[in-house]
Amino acid sequence: MSEVLQEETMLSYIGGEIEPKGTSISIRAINERGRVALQETAFPTRRDEDWRFIDLKSITKNTFISVEEAGANNVSDISEHYLPEALNTRLVFVNGVYNEELSSISDLPNGVIVGNMASYSDHDSVKTHLGTITNYDDDVFAPFNDAAFSDGTFIHVPEETVVEAPIHILNVFTDADKAYYATPRLLYVGEMFSKSTIIEEHIGLADNEYLNIPVTEFKMFTGSNVHHARIQRDSKQASHVSRPIAILDKNAEYHSYTICLGAKLFRNDPRVIQNAEEVDFTVDGLVLIDGEQIADTHSIMDHRFPHGKSHQLHKVVVNDSAHSIFNGKIFVAKDAQKIDSFQENRNLLISENGKINTKPQLEIFADDVLCSHGATIGQLQDEEVFYLQSRGLTEQKSRELLVYAFALESVESMAVESVEKLLLAEVIKYTNRDDK
Amino acid sequence: MLEIKNLYAKVEGEDIQILKGVNLTVNAGEIHAIMGPNGSGKSTLSKVVAGHPEYEVTEGEILFNGEDITEMDADERAHLGLFLAFQYPVEVPGITNKTLLREAYNTIAKANDREELDPLEFEDYLQTKLEIIDMKDEFLSRSINTGFSGGEKKKNEIFQMAVLNPVLSFLDETDSGLDIDALKVVSDGVNKIANDKNAIVMITHYQRLLNYIKPDFVHVMMAGKIIKSGGIELAEELEANGYDEMQKELALNGAQ
Repeated sequence: MSEVLQEETMLSYIGGEIEPKGTSISIRAINERGRVALQETAFPTRRDEDWRFIDLKSITKNTFISVEEAGANNVSDISEHYLPEALNTRLVFVNGVYNEELSSISDLPNGVIVGNMASYSDHDSVKTHLGTITNYDDDVFAPFNDAAFSDGTFIHVPEETVVEAPIHILNVFTDADKAYYATPRLLYVGEMFSKSTIIEEHIGLADNEYLNIPVTEFKMFTGSNVHHARIQRDSKQASHVSRPIAILDKNAEYHSYTICLGAKLFRNDPRVIQNAEEVDFTVDGLVLIDGEQIADTHSIMDHRFPHGKSHQLHKVVVNDSAHSIFNGKIFVAKDAQKIDSFQENRNLLISENGKINTKPQLEIFADDVLCSHGATIGQLQDEEVFYLQSRGLTEQKSRELLVYAFALESVESMAVESVEKLLLAEVIKYTNRDDK
Repeated sequence: MLEIKNLYAKVEGEDIQILKGVNLTVNAGEIHAIMGPNGSGKSTLSKVVAGHPEYEVTEGEILFNGEDITEMDADERAHLGLFLAFQYPVEVPGITNKTLLREAYNTIAKANDREELDPLEFEDYLQTKLEIIDMKDEFLSRSINTGFSGGEKKKNEIFQMAVLNPVLSFLDETDSGLDIDALKVVSDGVNKIANDKNAIVMITHYQRLLNYIKPDFVHVMMAGKIIKSGGIELAEELEANGYDEMQKELALNGAQ
């Protein structure tokens, strides 16, 4: 590896150095690994293929400091964000720091662990899997999380165990005097034939600037099943770079749905790795952005073994001067025959100045597969608007209804009723702005 | 009820006039048929009356119950009781028929100081309208026209007409693409809706629709104008001799 100058690394944007904070050997080792990677890896620029279209200046123009130094506010009452279905299956992190008082875990089947990672750092699954699933080449963000995290979520679902109640991982971010960084971390280990639903939320409580860099790792053993909804409602001044990754054993199912509403800069690189035959996974997304928001999804669906089924529906609505980027990679290895993979990116541009880049990217080395992809960029059709208007609806109402209808499909796959309701309210808020 | 006076219209931003001096008067209780070959401007006329933003009226006016509606938005015209059954009904995935109709019904009710209906009341109201067009209940919960057959789409237009109960309806080639059974059902529905307080203008290419819905007046449109008006015998004449013959005849008369 060539020499990387200090000013080219991510460390220069976060005050130069990160003190390893892990209190256990397992976490400390990852902190150290991250620190080394950060020193050896240059921060991405527009010259890097995967970063061509995205403007990272909301990160590079700033210096982010740790939450402790930034004087971040504490929270008192965030109960409005609790999900009725998950009143006793909830972990709360405030600015990335575990908050035991606001968390409530009492409603779990025998043997299931939902807790803060620091308390379980000696657990075999943590020692075996933590940090082994993330796999991002030439990346600075996952290593940044590696270097800076000291706690997080640990979920372990034993064999043949089904967790009925959704598990709510609530990350809230508070106001602060200075811009801070946060590094939420999640390790999920689903043993054979286990099943659960995870609702991972990121909510900005104020309108402040912060940098949110979460890493989530899902280790899915044979026949295990997870429904993973990720709802990003960060502050509109925040930057958020996500590294969610899952690795699937035989017959495992992993279905993820990422909803992007907040943040001024959102970069999401979901990856699913098929590590055995006959898996089934979903990497769906819904992006609703306006103002100057940037949302960039670079996904990888990596089929390494035969008989896999995968599906990706990425829907985007862009208003004002917002900018959406989508690069969906589908990899099918040489011996991974009989893969059935489907990707669709549908974009709706409802302003003059919005911008959309989309790039499906299929790299298929097997010869007996069924892979399809499609990308569309459209505007609301005048004929559709006129049709609704001719029935008596105002032009504004007609446009709202059409955008709402476009987004609806993605919202309906949330599987948790209160989350669907919450998102519908968000969609209505997005389509029904007062300033138009 | 409707008075169209010397109406000229063109596609917004283009130079080609499509309507070139249309005159038409429709009174309550009447059923009119406008017939004409492709490109004669008959569909455009229905869209201009409904307020399609694609068209620009360059001369003349449209009066509805004495009020000039020429510059009104489509939704305001709908509030006054105008309705257009589309030639090509638009598919709107994600919005159910029921949602659209309740929104439309209540918006129109509100604009006319009538009582709005809550979801339960509206459900009951819809049930009474389903039989008019022989529609199944499940139709209501389907996305608007999405995945509908051609016939189902046209039925849906007439169903919407029944629910919104307009004063004046333009049916733009509602008969096209219908097989004989569907044509009977649709015509039957229109006949049930027609009464002495409302009026209907049918735009059609073919005479066969007029076997099922009897018009009081038939108009022939060519090159952006109504060139001849009369009773049902005019349609029969067209059926027998075709548009070319009529055009020749008129040209001859004009030359005299």
